[in-house]
Amino acid sequence: MIDAAFRSLRAAGPMEQFEILPIVPLTLGGLDISFTNSALWMTIGVGLTIAFFYAATRRRTLIPGRTQSIAEILHEFVANLVRDTIGHDGKKFFPYVFTLFIFILVANYVGLLPSIPGSPHEIHTFTTTSHIIVTFALAMVTISIVLIYGFAKNGLKFFKLFAPSGLPIWLMPILVPIEVISFLSRPISLGVRLFANMLAGHIILKLFAGFVIALLGAGGFASVLAIAPFLGSIAIFLLEFLVAALQAYVFAILTCIYLSDAAHAADH
Amino acid sequence: MTDGAKQDPPSLDEFSQRLDAARGVKEAKENSRRTGSVALGRAFRVGSELLAALLVGALLGWGLDTVFSSRPWLMLVGILFGFAAGILNVNRAFKESNGEAQKD
Repeated sequence: MIDAAFRSLRAAGPMEQFEILPIVPLTLGGLDISFTNSALWMTIGVGLTIAFFYAATRRRTLIPGRTQSIAEILHEFVANLVRDTIGHDGKKFFPYVFTLFIFILVANYVGLLPSIPGSPHEIHTFTTTSHIIVTFALAMVTISIVLIYGFAKNGLKFFKLFAPSGLPIWLMPILVPIEVISFLSRPISLGVRLFANMLAGHIILKLFAGFVIALLGAGGFASVLAIAPFLGSIAIFLLEFLVAALQAYVFAILTCIYLSDAAHAADH
Repeated sequence: MTDGAKQDPPSLDEFSQRLDAARGVKEAKENSRRTGSVALGRAFRVGSELLAALLVGALLGWGLDTVFSSRPWLMLVGILFGFAAGILNVNRAFKESNGEAQKD
């Protein structure tokens, strides 16, 4: 039995879990808009979120039950984050930051679920946030909101973000490019951080798990050694459990900081 | 008299005060436990901020080089500016997290 599992799993390299596979092939004007496994797991994540918040708000009581408590803690956590970083202007951004935080959090955690054994490759567990196009799109939405809101609120004074008042004129040619590069690097660091963390964590997890199967398959004394990568993969999984929440939090807090910059650009 | 006071259900205001007090104690405990994971998040952040700014600076310089066909000089200048912007980013990241720590 172990031999069969070994043979079927040896083919699956550590990168195989990131493959995009179409489930329902669709094209629109020459563009490939197939419903893929990535789309499937996004849908599962959003579906779970909607189901959870429906269950949590169905019976609203003064003294909350378990699900209502969790929903209230999540709400309070993000509301405090928005209020502390953006200030009184922040309230209108709460829906965006909350949606972003919950989407990334659930996508990260759903990606940690084990695949159903023997199921076709198309529906194996997939972490949508391990693809840079997804995280970069989320980062670009944040930066677009910062730009649109920044110009709408401050007008041309938004450029004060790049040239703070009181700056000596001879320093301008050095400091303005530095500030511009610093601003342009925001969506990149925002997108790359989440993507790289998810990608690296899942590769390491798969490698360690692969070692266990390989050592068990070797038999004899080597099988005893399998305990080491097994314990290792448990440790990595616990770390990933932490990183999943941490990266959603970092993404949300940085979104708040950038929005706060846009809201207060004229004060610089 | 004392018996009557005991049987009165506690008012909601009083209850929420007690709840806040209990939560305050719990949060203080949780905060001290959470510093480890927050430091991990900060470490991830510093690395990516530095790298992203360097990358943007180099790419901007490279793009300007193709416009003015002056390869590789503007890219070298871009790397310098990118590195400076990276240091600025890291400096800001620490300032933000230090400000947070002081607020707590």
